[in-house]
Parts: sequence; C-alpha cells; structure tokens
Amino acid sequence: MIMQTTNSFSLQRFFMLFRQSFRINKKIIGITVAGFFGIVFILLFLFQSKSDFTHWDNNDYMGTFIFLFFILGIVYSSLSFPDFRSKEKSIAYLMLPASASEKYIFEFVTRIVAFVLLMPLLFWLTANIEGAVIHHWVPGLEDYKFSFGKALDKFYSVGGKTVWDTLSIILGCLFIFLAAFTGASHFSKSPLMKTLFTFSLLCGGSFLYVYLLSKGLNIDQYNLPDDRILFISNGHEEAKLFTLAASVINISLLAISWFRLKEKEA
Amino acid sequence: MIQIKDLNFAYPRQKALFNNLSIHLEAGSITGLLGKNGAGKSTLLKLITGPLRAQSGEVSVLEHDPRKREVSMLSDVFLVPEEFSFPAITIKDYEKACSVFYPKFDEEMLNRVLNEFELSSDSNLQRLSYGQKKKFLIAFAISTRCRLLVLDEPTNGLDIPSKALFRKVLAGSLDENQLVIISTHQVKDVENLIDKIIILDNGKVIFKQTISEISQRVCFVSGTSDDIDDAIYCEEVPGGYRLMKPNDNVETEVDIELLFNAVTKGKTIE
Repeated sequence: MIMQTTNSFSLQRFFMLFRQSFRINKKIIGITVAGFFGIVFILLFLFQSKSDFTHWDNNDYMGTFIFLFFILGIVYSSLSFPDFRSKEKSIAYLMLPASASEKYIFEFVTRIVAFVLLMPLLFWLTANIEGAVIHHWVPGLEDYKFSFGKALDKFYSVGGKTVWDTLSIILGCLFIFLAAFTGASHFSKSPLMKTLFTFSLLCGGSFLYVYLLSKGLNIDQYNLPDDRILFISNGHEEAKLFTLAASVINISLLAISWFRLKEKEA
Repeated sequence: MIQIKDLNFAYPRQKALFNNLSIHLEAGSITGLLGKNGAGKSTLLKLITGPLRAQSGEVSVLEHDPRKREVSMLSDVFLVPEEFSFPAITIKDYEKACSVFYPKFDEEMLNRVLNEFELSSDSNLQRLSYGQKKKFLIAFAISTRCRLLVLDEPTNGLDIPSKALFRKVLAGSLDENQLVIISTHQVKDVENLIDKIIILDNGKVIFKQTISEISQRVCFVSGTSDDIDDAIYCEEVPGGYRLMKPNDNVETEVDIELLFNAVTKGKTIE
C-alpha cells in the first residue's frame, strides 16, 4: 500500500499513525492495561476490606470509579504529545510525513477519546472480576456486581435532571482533560505540574480580581437574593450557563493546543 | 531543488544568525556544508527541512515552503539530526512502523546497507551503541530514497572503519535526482565523497564551489619553506608544509581541511 501524499487530511495516513503508534507502543499498552487491572483490583479490595466487605455497594464502586477516572485521566492527558518532551523527538515528530491535522486528531483521539471510552469499560471489567473473586472467598460481600446503568438510574432519579445537566457534566469533565492536554502541548518539561500551577494562578487571579472589583464597587453592600447568580434564577439556568462557559473554554483550549502543534519548532 | 533568498533568522533573545543569506542548490550532488562550531550549520538544515522557521526571506525546497511542513514535501525529505532518539523496539519493527510514510522506501536497499554496516534487523534499537544507532538512521535515510537527504554531522560517533563504510554506502546508493547535504566540522570525514562545498561563517556563505572548480583553480601539494612564497595558503606539518597554490596544470586531490582553513582565514580562490 503506497501512502497518499496529498496535503489535506488523509484517512489513510491517519490510520497509519495508529498502526505506527501501536507497533512502537504495544508493550507499553500491554503493561499499562495489566497495571491498571492490578492497581484497581488491589484498590477495590482495600476499600472493601475497610468497610468489612459488608457495607459495600454500587455507589462505592461508582465513587471509586469517579475518583480514578479523574486522577488517571488528568495524568494520562498530561502525557499527550510525548514527542514534545525532548528536542530530538520533536524533530522526528515534526518531520514525520503526516499533516498537522492528522497528528492533532490522532493525539486527541488516543489521549482523550480513547481514555473516556476504554477506561470505564476496563474499570467495569476489573470491578466485576474483582467482585466475583472476593465474593468467592468472602461471602459477606453481597453487593459485588458493579453496574453503570444502576448508578446512572440513581443519578437521574434525583431532582429531574435535564439534558443541560448532562451536557454540563460532560463538558466539565472534558475541560479537565483538555486543560491537561493543552498544557502538554505547551510545556516541554513537567507539563502536569506547570499546567496545574498555571490554572491555579488563573483561577486565583480571577477570584482576586472579582473580589477586589466587588469591594471597589461595594457590591457586597447590595442585598442580592441567595438563589441567583447574576440573571440566573434556577438550577437549570445554572447548568445552561455552565455548559455555555465550558463550551467556550473547551473550544479555546482546543484552538490553543492546535496552534501549539502547528507552530511548534525544534 | 533548494532556493534560499535573503533569509534572516535569529534565535529568541540572541543576535541574528543569518542576515540575507542566499543559497541555490540543484539535484545530483553531495554537498558539504562546512563551518566552525556555532556557524549555524544545524540551524540552516532545520530551516531547510522545516523544524525551524525563518523570520523573513524565501525558502523553497522541492518547490514547497518548508514552513508549511506539507506532506508532499515531508515524504521526500529526510533529516538525520546530530542527536536523535529511538523507541525500544527492534530494527525490523521500526522499519515496519516508519517506512510506510515514505512512498519510495526500498526495503532491499535497507537490508543491503544494514548488512554492510553489520547490523542485525533483530537488534533492539535502545541496546545499540550511539554509533550503531547512527548507522541505522543513515541506512534508513538512504533507503527512503527521498529526493533530499540532509545529514547533520553524520560521522560523529562513527569509528574509523564505519566512516569509510559510510562514504562507500552513501556514494553507491544515490541517483542523479537526489540531493544530499552533509553538514560537518570534521572535514576529513567527507573527503572523496562530496562534490560541492559550501562554507558558512558568521551567518554568511563565504565559499561555494564544486570540487572540479576548486581543482581547476588551485592545487594542494607538500613542500618546504622555500615554496611558501608561491602559496595562497600554507600550514606547517611534520616534515614540511602543506601548500595551497594556484593551479599550474597539476590536478591534485582537494585537501578540504587546508581549503577550509584558508577560506575561513580570508584567502580567496579565483
């Protein structure tokens, strides 16, 4: 099969990037999956033993999942653009005959989309295997079958959730991963630490600015209603505002990381 | 094939490295880019191949602007940088993973060159020595059959037999549609290989001639102190002097090191 040399996005080259990455990283992928299985297995066992195996249910599984999903997701996204960590690798990466859009989408898919799709599947598999194994030795662990469906049913049964609530959660998660992804495209060394530091500075600066502004304008003297944020008057409106804000921020982060890749020099 | 016009480049917070640099190179030659340390050889190679972008000026490589890093250019250009890194996989796996990106890749040629370099395709790249890795990268670069091959200090880290082998392999693997640029400060290593010399000094091209043009104009001989007066340039060596003299119908092998020293010390060859 001869590679196309068109300058626009080529699906053939895009899949060639996957094949290349798999050939180079197949051992690391295997070790990572096995490591994930082992760590989750041990963690679940430890958490269950702390609750004497009897007070453990689907909610506890879900709590563990959410904790791991964010921690591992942030770490994994911050490992995006691994070739940017050194000058030598950067040169080889930039000289690889694939367009910037192919390289960028490949990175986005493998670092965010693949994680969001595969991590829950792996967790579900590990949790159910672990549950079955532990239940065999400790029959006291009765609620050992983990189900995302049950957890979601419970979530949606409380307080009449709308599509905006779902969207705001999805975009909020995406923001966290995209922030780490963008940091990895920008910082060559210690991207996670530098990204955390940058976002802490941005958030701290924004809060300080709003605080000083409110002091300067004497906003704290006004008698504002407790159930309002500016013109927003109820929970659904809050979700809409959050969704809108997260969309804008996420698109900005995507644009920043795209230009970092496109303008990268080595 | 390569057209550089009025190129200006400076690293951030540093003085300009190139001021209105212009070079024109055509296919069918092995060009030696020579210069002292810090002359800007590696930077120029990166500007030609795409990893770096010039602040102003025109750079055209295979009728492409390298700043755009278009696939149609990248698939026909291969850069062997001075420093590189490989994943922990075998040569065979690396070839399978990366050769598909070069439409003219010649697997037979790779096996032949690997054989000449005494490298096994089952070797893990991370367990090879620096010199062996470099030989593999050179073998891979040649096998891509890219129209432009750019080798930055290719003989650094190679042992003496490998340097001779490198010259033999490179000379025997190219065709007239290809252009090879070899940057080096070890001028002896590329003797009998290059057919054009470009000397870079203080961000400027101070010399650009083919080997045959040089041979027609000057000759390189050994002599005594009595011969110094006729020489354009001379250097004391054990047992006498090496002299660069105007050619008086004696064609000699070009002593690139002597020529380089002469040119960088301001001597002109006309």
